[in-house]
Amino acid sequence: MTATGQALSYLDQQMPGETGEKARSRLVAILMRREVQLLVALLLMSGIVDVLRPQFLSSSNISFMLAGSVVIMVVATGQTMVIITRGIDLSVAPMLGIAAIAIGFPAQNHNLNIFVALVLVILIGIALGVGNGLLVTVAGIPPIIATLATLSVYGGLQFVFTSGLTVISLPHDYIAVGLEDIVPGIPWLLLIGVGIVIVAELFLKFTPWGRAIYAVGNNADAAYRAGIPVRRTLFMTYIICGLLSGIGGFVYLCYIGSASSTTGTDTNVNLISIAATLIGGTSLLGGRGRPIGAALGAVFLSVADTAIVVLRILPIWEPAGVGVLILLAVVTDRQSGPATRRALRTRHHAEVAA
Amino acid sequence: MSANPGGTVSAGTPVDLSANRRGRASIDQVWVWVLVVLLGLELLYFSLTSTGFWGGGSGMLSASSEFLDVSVMALGLALVIFAGEIDLSIGAMASLSGIVMAQLWHVEGLNIWLATLITLVMAAGLGALNGFIITKFGIGSLLVTLATQFIFSSVATAVSGESPPYGFPKAFLTITGTGSIGPIPADLIIFAVLALFIGLLVSRTRYGRSLVLVGHNRPAARYSGVNVSRTLIWAFIGSAVFAAIAGIMIAGVYNAVRDDVGIPLLLPSVTIVVLGGVDIFGGKGRISGVIIASIIIGYVSVGLLDGGSTPLTVTMVQGIVLIVGLIIKISLDRRGGVAFRDALARFFARQHLGKATVSSDV
Repeated sequence: MTATGQALSYLDQQMPGETGEKARSRLVAILMRREVQLLVALLLMSGIVDVLRPQFLSSSNISFMLAGSVVIMVVATGQTMVIITRGIDLSVAPMLGIAAIAIGFPAQNHNLNIFVALVLVILIGIALGVGNGLLVTVAGIPPIIATLATLSVYGGLQFVFTSGLTVISLPHDYIAVGLEDIVPGIPWLLLIGVGIVIVAELFLKFTPWGRAIYAVGNNADAAYRAGIPVRRTLFMTYIICGLLSGIGGFVYLCYIGSASSTTGTDTNVNLISIAATLIGGTSLLGGRGRPIGAALGAVFLSVADTAIVVLRILPIWEPAGVGVLILLAVVTDRQSGPATRRALRTRHHAEVAA
Repeated sequence: MSANPGGTVSAGTPVDLSANRRGRASIDQVWVWVLVVLLGLELLYFSLTSTGFWGGGSGMLSASSEFLDVSVMALGLALVIFAGEIDLSIGAMASLSGIVMAQLWHVEGLNIWLATLITLVMAAGLGALNGFIITKFGIGSLLVTLATQFIFSSVATAVSGESPPYGFPKAFLTITGTGSIGPIPADLIIFAVLALFIGLLVSRTRYGRSLVLVGHNRPAARYSGVNVSRTLIWAFIGSAVFAAIAGIMIAGVYNAVRDDVGIPLLLPSVTIVVLGGVDIFGGKGRISGVIIASIIIGYVSVGLLDGGSTPLTVTMVQGIVLIVGLIIKISLDRRGGVAFRDALARFFARQHLGKATVSSDV
């Protein structure tokens, strides 16, 4: 008898009359979900800080924290897809920066229409994503190295495009998108961010393209043999990541109201987007992760950021906090991993038996 | 580390290991020579276009102290990449080490050499911590060192305070930064000694062999009695200590320390190691390639900055050098070469596809 067979027969003995046990294991599986954990952590943290500094959960501050998370939310959604394929994109920061300045200057000098600007950032993002995709799929360079190289190249391009100038004043409608709330506590930007996350979730879950991304990340060889166009899928993923970084640039420009040759790189968008993705439960080993987790990770980081400020902790400790959070996220994930798998296997077996 | 699914799939065919290994050795050698030629062309170009670059040879030699800190960092990083891992914390480690050394000297009033020694020991400890977390919890090194990078740089900022110390003793500056023996700057001597050490370590010692084996095939390493965890931890200690040395060299060159000097050096050092021909998945490459690549990348920045380019343009050119270099290397390299040729064949003509596939099987 194989080891798997033994494990299954062991489960067989456990099964009869264990419905309570089953329900509990399903509950455990839900509680072990990273999104749920994050939400609990988020509420706990906000609650504690609100007790210490009562203005923390005022609607204006909530709006501020949510709006502040949208840039990373959008970029991390793309980063999540790339990491699901076992890749990584280190060039999101300059892609965001290039998109921001490419619409920032026309908007400042020629009052560029905001919808044209949105189309423009999408096209720019796609073009830059194509560059990454070509290097990864056609040239066969490992993603970490390919995007490391384009990080330098795009960063240089960004500087060349700005020729050292800075975008400082924007037309009113951009600022309005960046600063105003739909209802108190819910900023317009959040609508963009949440919309993108929902579309990404649906795309990954219900389209063949989206599911191909998971398949390629899980086992590229098996996906290839199952008839999935592996290289085309990878190519598409890098394009989507570029596209979302471009939109991230749009959001950044509206929210911050300025852009320069180091936009994106100076706020460490690369590493923070990776941090949000990993805190959101996406595995660097590929095949596992969800945009909604990354979005919650982005909100979590933004709230933690603000908490550090209102608690008057020296801001220099903020990066250290991010570092500790990443480590915590991974260590807890490794503990929850086997438990979740066990729970899933039990459920699967029950379904087979039924 | 992230794998490259596209490459794996396109290889498709079973790999003949013996042929592979023989081919590989010669390709590694060829690559080193390609780099040498590239370096020669580069130096020639800058000597002709940029006035004062050559300076009768000594100008060029003394300019090397502007970039050797990155080269030293790359040597340490090469150890980790040989083992198939990565260390993103070295930039922050360089900053932290410079600051700690300066503060031990300035605030605690220690002798500067003692301060340097203590700093190196601290770096070794933090490197061991990196390695310990990675091996003990089985977490990817990309993640762990990403996290510790954040932590180290916070600590560096905290330790540096409002006005980090400057104005180190003359003897210290002479040895770590500005001094020279004849036309040869002190930094170059430090680099040469360290490069020799790493080169011998990797190619001539038992540790070096097990390090490369760990990178090449971890289960095989384990079955042949190599203590994989210990090997990895030592590699991370190495990269941390070399980063610390780089941080101290920066302090010596600029006669000051800052909490953010090291972070920008991370990407160039990864570029150097990869351009030098070390496989990012570990187990393959030569230290001589890394040494030459570090000089190539270094003189790119010196030459371009001399010619009036901005630092961001320099980074861009370094990125392009990396891409072009890798595309050449991959087309030489067997496994990646199949992917590249396949793709080219598909773009150009149908009959080439068959030919490319056949030649890849031989």
